Amino acid sequence: MKRWLAVFVVLVLVAIPVASFVRSGYYNVAATEQHTAPVYWLLEAGMNKSVKARAAGIVVPPLDDAATTTRGLLLYEQHCVQCHGAPGVAPAPFALGMMPVPANLALTAREWPATELYWVVRYGIKMSGMPAWEFRLADAELWAIVAFLQTLPALAPADYRAMVRDAGASKLTVATQPHVAGHDGDNAERGKHVAVRGGGNAKRGKTALQQYACVSCHEIPHIVGADKAVGPPLAGIASRPFIAGVVPNTRANMVRWLQSPQAIAARTAMPDLGVSTRDAHDIAAFLATLR
Amino acid sequence: MIALAGWCAALHGCEHSARGEAPPRDSVLEGRLAIQHHGCGACHRIPGIPGAIGNTGPPLEGIARRVYLAGVIANTPQNMIAWIRAPQLIDPQTAMPSTGASEAEARAIAAYLETLR
Repeated sequence: MKRWLAVFVVLVLVAIPVASFVRSGYYNVAATEQHTAPVYWLLEAGMNKSVKARAAGIVVPPLDDAATTTRGLLLYEQHCVQCHGAPGVAPAPFALGMMPVPANLALTAREWPATELYWVVRYGIKMSGMPAWEFRLADAELWAIVAFLQTLPALAPADYRAMVRDAGASKLTVATQPHVAGHDGDNAERGKHVAVRGGGNAKRGKTALQQYACVSCHEIPHIVGADKAVGPPLAGIASRPFIAGVVPNTRANMVRWLQSPQAIAARTAMPDLGVSTRDAHDIAAFLATLR
Repeated sequence: MIALAGWCAALHGCEHSARGEAPPRDSVLEGRLAIQHHGCGACHRIPGIPGAIGNTGPPLEGIARRVYLAGVIANTPQNMIAWIRAPQLIDPQTAMPSTGASEAEARAIAAYLETLR
């Protein structure tokens, strides 16, 4: 009798509210909106723990010969750069619209051991967009990718370009060419937007910057999951006198920087993400609130 | 409390051990002095350095975790030492001036910065 009472109480207190929450459609599944902080942390912690537990015991083969790394680079250029980008190279436009946004792997490779990189490449991650490569690539190829990933943290953008050139990888993909799909299309439009939208809309900018993978490289206040240390943290960016340490931090320069960083700092690892003029103004307006 | 700290670490993904060994404590202390001597804090916010609240360059909290230095080269110990000594040799465009730090001082500063995770 007591047991049935307990079941009944649990049903009333937990199951029914959960069921009505799900049925209400209250939770937003749109990829333009990050998970709420508790859900994000739960998923992130769960993913980390899961990978760690399952990768334990994997034996790493020797990975440090140049041929393996080059093989890995070619595979990376063929299968990975479209979503993850590379030093100084933006992901393809479709990947910028993904939630979660694909990780910057220079950071991942700094922090994750080879066993865990291998596990993720091989098995993928549910509901993250990361596919499993187990049935697409041979085991030696999976390890070659891991070998290449491990070189990423030490590669400057110029080093990466040189590696791609030397390996002849650029023939395989167009991903290393700066893409312009996300830009406004014609430059006449760009000028017009500047005139019309001088101020920019900070609220819209906050949403927009989550659609250009800013969060995969920068720590950004008020954005759930934006805790990555590839580039500098953006807290206080509004009161910093320089952008990228090279140009004065004016609104016009920030817009220019967001749209074509490599035109301002030729060696920067920040890629051209195809930011439209309207989006650049709105993102700059949001950044201006970070004092 | 320990459980709480563990939970926080787990949430932030800190559990994935970072590479590199902790620098020797002596050079960390020397680094702290060299940072004060060369006035790094006038342009950078640096944890553990009194008065280092500048915001001309990027804050150095967590600099040891950052992938790139000045956004242009990989953040390795060797590169950090070279950068501290002569930043404009690495990026001619940078606003960061030559600090005049000796090799030994730059090494010590890099050792201190390596502790800022």
